[in-house]
Amino acid sequence: MIAFISGGARSGKSTHAEALVRRWQAERGGARYYLATASGGDGEWQARIGRHRQARGEGWITLEEPVDLIAALERVEPGSTLLLDCLTLWASQLLYSSEHASELDEAQGIAMIERLLAEARRRNVALVIVSNDVNEGMPPENAEVWRYLAFLQRVHRLVAQEADEVIQVMAGLPQVWKRRGEERS
Amino acid sequence: MQLFIGGAYAGKRDVVRQRFEAPHWHSAHAGGRLEAWRSLAETRCLVLEGWERWIGERLAAEPDDDRLRQAMARELDALWGWEAERGGEAVLILLEMGRGIVPLGLDNRRLRDLNGWLAQDAAARCERVWYVWNGLVKELSR
Repeated sequence: MIAFISGGARSGKSTHAEALVRRWQAERGGARYYLATASGGDGEWQARIGRHRQARGEGWITLEEPVDLIAALERVEPGSTLLLDCLTLWASQLLYSSEHASELDEAQGIAMIERLLAEARRRNVALVIVSNDVNEGMPPENAEVWRYLAFLQRVHRLVAQEADEVIQVMAGLPQVWKRRGEERS
Repeated sequence: MQLFIGGAYAGKRDVVRQRFEAPHWHSAHAGGRLEAWRSLAETRCLVLEGWERWIGERLAAEPDDDRLRQAMARELDALWGWEAERGGEAVLILLEMGRGIVPLGLDNRRLRDLNGWLAQDAAARCERVWYVWNGLVKELSR
């Protein structure tokens, strides 16, 4: 089972995603994992990470992995439910991270997402993926920002296509685009 | 007339391609001028895209926002008239760009405002309005 949840900044995406993970875990049993794409960072980042962690409460096994989502998935017990939060940060780290010997390109990023989705299904890991919509403001004037936006949107379209459940969160309210194969329109 | 609106790389073109058979594509990105759709009047289904570029090209020549908005709306009316007269179908693709921070530059602020007004004016004239989001599409209700 795969869900994709996206929306604007502070729209309530994470809260809704956590509730969905709890619901799926209650139905399926197994453990509840949180895969943070953020790691390290300065004081503001630590505070953001701390705020999210506190809001989630107890009962989560936290994994931190900035880029290699497959390595993280391999650490998750089959039968578990995994929350991946979030794709915007993962996408920027994949394209621009200085911690890696060589940056990955878009095709490698798309291949990683395809493999993540297929492996999650194969390993019976229910996956809830959170991202942030950043494509509905003024088009960027910088070519690198265009490249990032184009890549992130390719990832979004792929995940939305493959997911069983797709939710857009606005002002804390989940708008259902797709649920368990019953696609709208 | 139908309107498809969504953000950059939302998948608007693919959604339109899936829904309309062999439309003629009139695009600002391919260098087409807006008014030039009239030379394609024999086409049954006409897709018009790149409206933000067509607005951008007019900003310098028309400093008055209201007049520019009205000029764009007249093109919508002409398309509507073409549909009624020839039995064709016009499909408008618009870029959503109004959900970010107010731009610093005057031209970008005007572009963003005019694009938003155009979307309202287009939606008011269209039988159906669709929102494209991450490759998915949903009809907007009135």
